[in-house]
Amino acid sequence: MYEQVAFYLFSVLTIGLFLVTVLSKNLLYSMTSLAAGMVMISGFFFILGADFLGVVQLIVYVGAVMALYAFAMMFFDATRDIKEKNANSGWIFLLGGMIALMLVIVFSAPIFSENIQAIYPSIPGATNPQSVGLVLFTKYLVPFEVAAVMLLVAMIAGIILAGKKMDQSLTTEDDIVKTEVISQEDEK
Amino acid sequence: MEIVNVAVLPEVTSAGVIIKAIIILAIISAIAGFGTYLERKILAFMQRRLGPMHVGPYGLLQIAADGIKLFTKEDIVPQNANKLIFKVAPAITAATAFIALAAVPVFPDFTIPEWIPLLGGTFVPSIAADINIGVLFILGMMAAGLYGPLLAGMAQANKWGIIGSARTAIQFLSYEVVTGLSILAPIMLVGSLSLVEFNNYQQGGFSSWMMWQQPVAFVLFLIAGFAETNRTPFDLLEHEAEVVSGYATEYSGMRWGMFFIGEYANMITVSVLAAVIFMGGYNDLGFIAGWLIVVLKIAFVFFLMLWVRASWPHIRPDQLMWLCWKVLMPVAVVNVVITGFVMMV
Amino acid sequence: MSLEQFKNRNVGSQTYKMIESEPTPESGMGRFGQVVKRTFKGELFVGLYVTMREMINALFIGEMHTVKYPLEKLPISPRYRAIHDMLRLLESGHYRCIGCGLCEKICISDCIKMDTRYDENQRKEVSEYTINFGRCIFCGYCAEVCPELAIVHGGRYENASEQRAGFSLFEDMLTPIDALKDQKEFDGFGAVTPNADNAIKKTPLAY
Repeated sequence: MYEQVAFYLFSVLTIGLFLVTVLSKNLLYSMTSLAAGMVMISGFFFILGADFLGVVQLIVYVGAVMALYAFAMMFFDATRDIKEKNANSGWIFLLGGMIALMLVIVFSAPIFSENIQAIYPSIPGATNPQSVGLVLFTKYLVPFEVAAVMLLVAMIAGIILAGKKMDQSLTTEDDIVKTEVISQEDEK
Repeated sequence: MEIVNVAVLPEVTSAGVIIKAIIILAIISAIAGFGTYLERKILAFMQRRLGPMHVGPYGLLQIAADGIKLFTKEDIVPQNANKLIFKVAPAITAATAFIALAAVPVFPDFTIPEWIPLLGGTFVPSIAADINIGVLFILGMMAAGLYGPLLAGMAQANKWGIIGSARTAIQFLSYEVVTGLSILAPIMLVGSLSLVEFNNYQQGGFSSWMMWQQPVAFVLFLIAGFAETNRTPFDLLEHEAEVVSGYATEYSGMRWGMFFIGEYANMITVSVLAAVIFMGGYNDLGFIAGWLIVVLKIAFVFFLMLWVRASWPHIRPDQLMWLCWKVLMPVAVVNVVITGFVMMV
Repeated sequence: MSLEQFKNRNVGSQTYKMIESEPTPESGMGRFGQVVKRTFKGELFVGLYVTMREMINALFIGEMHTVKYPLEKLPISPRYRAIHDMLRLLESGHYRCIGCGLCEKICISDCIKMDTRYDENQRKEVSEYTINFGRCIFCGYCAEVCPELAIVHGGRYENASEQRAGFSLFEDMLTPIDALKDQKEFDGFGAVTPNADNAIKKTPLAY
């Protein structure tokens, strides 16, 4: 009973919050509702008993949306509405239609759910992190490692792109010359 | 590895959990208020002052006076602010701070004595929600708590607020990594994410404390904890000398007070985490009872935060980032790798 | 630091102690080394020790600095120039003021107003004497010029009052007759200096 109430509560909240994300023209509203929606999704994992995945969802997306906020802060004025430019309404119809199709599939899935079986059923007795670890490091070891390497490559590329001028001062060259002269005088 | 048989413990009823939740809410919010008094007193003593003296004996009722002031002060919302977000932000800080405390074992299990009517015999667990992954849950909740300062700074249409929230973002993005990595090594040793397991791992008295096995992780966790709770060496978000009051510039009255309560509740959470993960938890130490020793440990870590605030200057944002990414994170990774090797060999 | 050292403006001749500061490291490894050195040198713990020492001294040895002001007051210097006092003669209890009017003349902010008349014994009597403390700048000239040390600066520095006229009447400033035995001789601004006898030189008439 409680689980059903919680499920419908989380469902309504998640859908509502993501609708706000898409429809709002205010930067703060849409990003805050995005973050809140991610937190609500982690609620589903808690209902399903997958505590570990729920917490990972929480930590990962809280951090990810925080990074998004950092970019938004740099590019936009958060207190004003943003003028959106919808040049390609065809794409919007296409994507919207696909999302609607997906929703239909998702809602009709329970009809067939009796025929669905887990290929790798969770091991009885293993705790949440343990079962996640077992699956990750046996069946899905190669994709997992590939993903890790990909992230590493992205990280190194980011460091190289940003790090070229990292040790240079942001002040103009005149200032640098001046400070050098002063420091030389100090040494004398 | 020793696995405690859960079935031995009495059944956890929902009444017990609710009692525990009420205890946490009541006691921790009272202590969080009292923490402001303690902070002012201890900082005053360290600067050879007296601190609050006039409200009540030795200023003990200062918190009541402050509360009356905060509740009755005019609540100002700036004209150009995003009003909804501006109003929600303090609630995020306060709420997440208390949600995080749900997974923290503060006192050992106890049963309400039979002679108390109505609730007699109810078993109250040490932890409101023993969700197996307590450590991660607390860290995640404390991370979510930083949305409070971030949204507050961005919603208030104030340049100091924007700077404060930008600093929140960088501080969170960098120190979350160090917190996770520093706590990873103890997690590997214990083999569980549950704080109760951490406590049981250190049952062997003083010498079995985690901080002797993992001194590097302990120091890293303390540093990262200071950063996560915005305590002084890393209090960039609202440093008065630089950014007026950072994210809290435009706040007044009870909304500002909620930031305050959230900050102190977070301090208590970090103190409890340090006490349970690294300093032996609530096991009996010699002749001292478990509940007393854990309170003493929590109080010591809390005092350490105030002590450090009185002693050390705070650092610049670039120094903070440099320290995090070029010193603390590599040290944490090396610590995890060495722990792994030692465990394998 | 003594007064002579303090007033010495010849920069470079003082015995300043130079604090040894290592040069700023240039390379990344140098900076890392600096962090390691600073971490293990214990400078941070010296800071912790200092604050703890101060706390223990303040709590248990009584080196608390706070003065609870309305309840406790710090002693002030006799040279402090606060609200004026009018002194009395110790022998007769009569006020010292002879009504010469020098204070009124010298007052640069023009705040002293006095009026005199001859009494029945043909002595000069102060019939009216007020000081406008809204204008007084507490320069001390009146005390310095007074030939009888009748008007002096007292120690009442708490100037807040409910009325402007609070302090300014002659009777307010005059030592109460029953407190005459507690009247202290003024040794502040305008008083005879302690070594006045040695400092005095012969007048030209003596030559």
